[in-house]
Amino acid sequence: MKKKVLTVLLTGAMVASMAAGATVVSAEDNDNTLTVWAWDQNFNIKSMQIAADQYAADHEGFSVDIIETSSDDCQTKLTTAANAGDYSTLPDIVLMQDNSYQKFLKAYPDAFTDLKDMNINWDDFGALKQSYSMVDDTHYGVPFDNGAVIACYRTDILEEAGYTLDDLTDITWSKFEEIGKDIHEKTGKYLLTSEATGGDTLMMMIQSCGANFVNEDGEAYIVGNETAEKCIDLYTELVQNDVVKLVNNWDEYIATITSGEAAGIVNGNWITATLMSTEDQKGLWGITTMPKVDGVDTATNYANNGGSSWYITSNCKNVELAEDFLASTFGSSTDFYDAILPETGAISCYLPAGESEVYNEPNEFFGGQPIFSTIVEYSSHIPEFTKTPYHYEARECVNTAVVNIVNGTAKEDALQEAQDTLAFKMTE
Amino acid sequence: MTKKNKSAIQRRLIPTYIFLIIVSFFSVFPLYWMISAATNTSTDVSRGRIIPGSYFMENFKNLTSQQPLWRALGNSFFYAILTTVICLLICSIAGYGFEVYHDKGKDRLFSILLLAMMVPQVATMVPLFKMFSKAKLLNTSIGFILPIISTPFMIMMFRQNARAFPVDIIEAARIDGLSEVRIFFQMFIPTMKSTYAAAAVITFMNAWNAYLWPKVIMTDNKAITMPMLIANLITGYVTDYGMLMCGVLFCSIPTMVVFFVLQKQFAEGITGAVK
Repeated sequence: MKKKVLTVLLTGAMVASMAAGATVVSAEDNDNTLTVWAWDQNFNIKSMQIAADQYAADHEGFSVDIIETSSDDCQTKLTTAANAGDYSTLPDIVLMQDNSYQKFLKAYPDAFTDLKDMNINWDDFGALKQSYSMVDDTHYGVPFDNGAVIACYRTDILEEAGYTLDDLTDITWSKFEEIGKDIHEKTGKYLLTSEATGGDTLMMMIQSCGANFVNEDGEAYIVGNETAEKCIDLYTELVQNDVVKLVNNWDEYIATITSGEAAGIVNGNWITATLMSTEDQKGLWGITTMPKVDGVDTATNYANNGGSSWYITSNCKNVELAEDFLASTFGSSTDFYDAILPETGAISCYLPAGESEVYNEPNEFFGGQPIFSTIVEYSSHIPEFTKTPYHYEARECVNTAVVNIVNGTAKEDALQEAQDTLAFKMTE
Repeated sequence: MTKKNKSAIQRRLIPTYIFLIIVSFFSVFPLYWMISAATNTSTDVSRGRIIPGSYFMENFKNLTSQQPLWRALGNSFFYAILTTVICLLICSIAGYGFEVYHDKGKDRLFSILLLAMMVPQVATMVPLFKMFSKAKLLNTSIGFILPIISTPFMIMMFRQNARAFPVDIIEAARIDGLSEVRIFFQMFIPTMKSTYAAAAVITFMNAWNAYLWPKVIMTDNKAITMPMLIANLITGYVTDYGMLMCGVLFCSIPTMVVFFVLQKQFAEGITGAVK
């Protein structure tokens, strides 16, 4: 027995020393291989792989090594590397969420390579999409997926209450409330589902007016911001009148849809992938524009939520190759976008792609609507707005304010608290 | 004890049992739900179905086709076992040394060590990363396990338990001419089996569940571990709950097995028993 224990320990020590020699080394430093971070096997990873395959057809020996890294982990790794002053763990190309990129560029400008010399026609992308990855007229990112907001409704539930998709197209939020109340009375279902503190509904509402919860100087701007107050009032009313079902987290959010408790969802168009995974609801859905905010001159029926872009890091050994690869696939190829659409459902921000045949094919899940070209068309109407590196902080503050108002806090107090909290978070 | 008395005691225990049944239901239900969800489709899980379904093989197939399950399992086992073996060896020697040998600075050194327990891991990450990057240990197995093979908690646990190890045995062994190294390996280790078992369970679980540090310093797909695989399953735009739970099941089984096998020794080791 004693010997056995000793043997185990010695073997352990041996394995350890062996492991010391046999270190895990990343893919060989090949001039023709680019490492990429992305986070969804069925979506951006697959798209990147298809792009690499297409590029490799003309460029022998080219390949990509894609490392699955979630958006959150990417941020942690980037922050750690930047603080330690060692970017050697970064890949050549990294995918980042549009809403979080500005914060990183501001904090660690030397982590990214600017794309001043890139051979790409930037006007082929919507102005708003470009602005997410730009600082002072300099481009840093190549736009990837489209985040245009759509409203999806269960047409069968609408019909049950005597409405059609047309009744909900290009309407205002107060009209939406009127219809929502009626539907709740007649069917017991909610017209919209939304997350309580992590939800995007309020952000989409204010951004559809070309505004935000910050002013042009980047300061918190909630109290005294007429547009902000209008949005918060409308949203609070929707919650109080059983038009919106407020849930606690993403999983519940999805459950209200799969269970049929909610008849509608307003979000970035990437939500269609989740809807389509509920196969028994095929043909029951329809898409249209989101409602617009009442009484605001700049209000529109269009907004953006989510979406991401590709960035070349400062650790990239072969910037020329990375730029040429991104420019000739994501930056200019309708063939490429046509190829990824049926495989991944990734909808382009590259405006010429929307005109192709593939984009105009009817979609059976959405009752035969050509949803892809519709979405690309929506994305050309989205107004620009003042962006903030504190997007997620602002979202949390205003959502908390709404929950407080619904629970009985006076509106002035709740808004003041949101304003103060956001201002405080911006100092962190 | 009369029969009447006995039944009175049993009656008094009824509320206790009811309480325990309710509590155990709450602790077992998530495990049951994990298993049943792994056998259902994503939509069914989302709709709240709790009865086991027949979709397990599909979920399993999806999981293995999308993610390198076997590689992740293999890596996790490799790192967890390696860490456990080295950690047990180092920490038990340290704990034993702190208890058995006498030196003036010993207690002060031990207090400093305990102070290190108060520093959260997140706070040390950037300096650690800097050190490892200078030492060229980024993206290596050594870099992966080095920060976790010696923890103040483990040293403290071994020191506490070494207190129960009779000094007489050490002295008798010395008189018999056994070297200090052999006293440790031949007397101490076999006697403290239950402490080692408890330490093994804790270290194995920590190493198995390690996520943040490995994710930060490993930049290679080949270095994927089970927690990283689970994270990959939930970060996509569409979450397949059935497949996710199938992955979680595979991630939980090894730690459960380790715990159940060493359960008896674990309880003994935590309470500090020497046989």
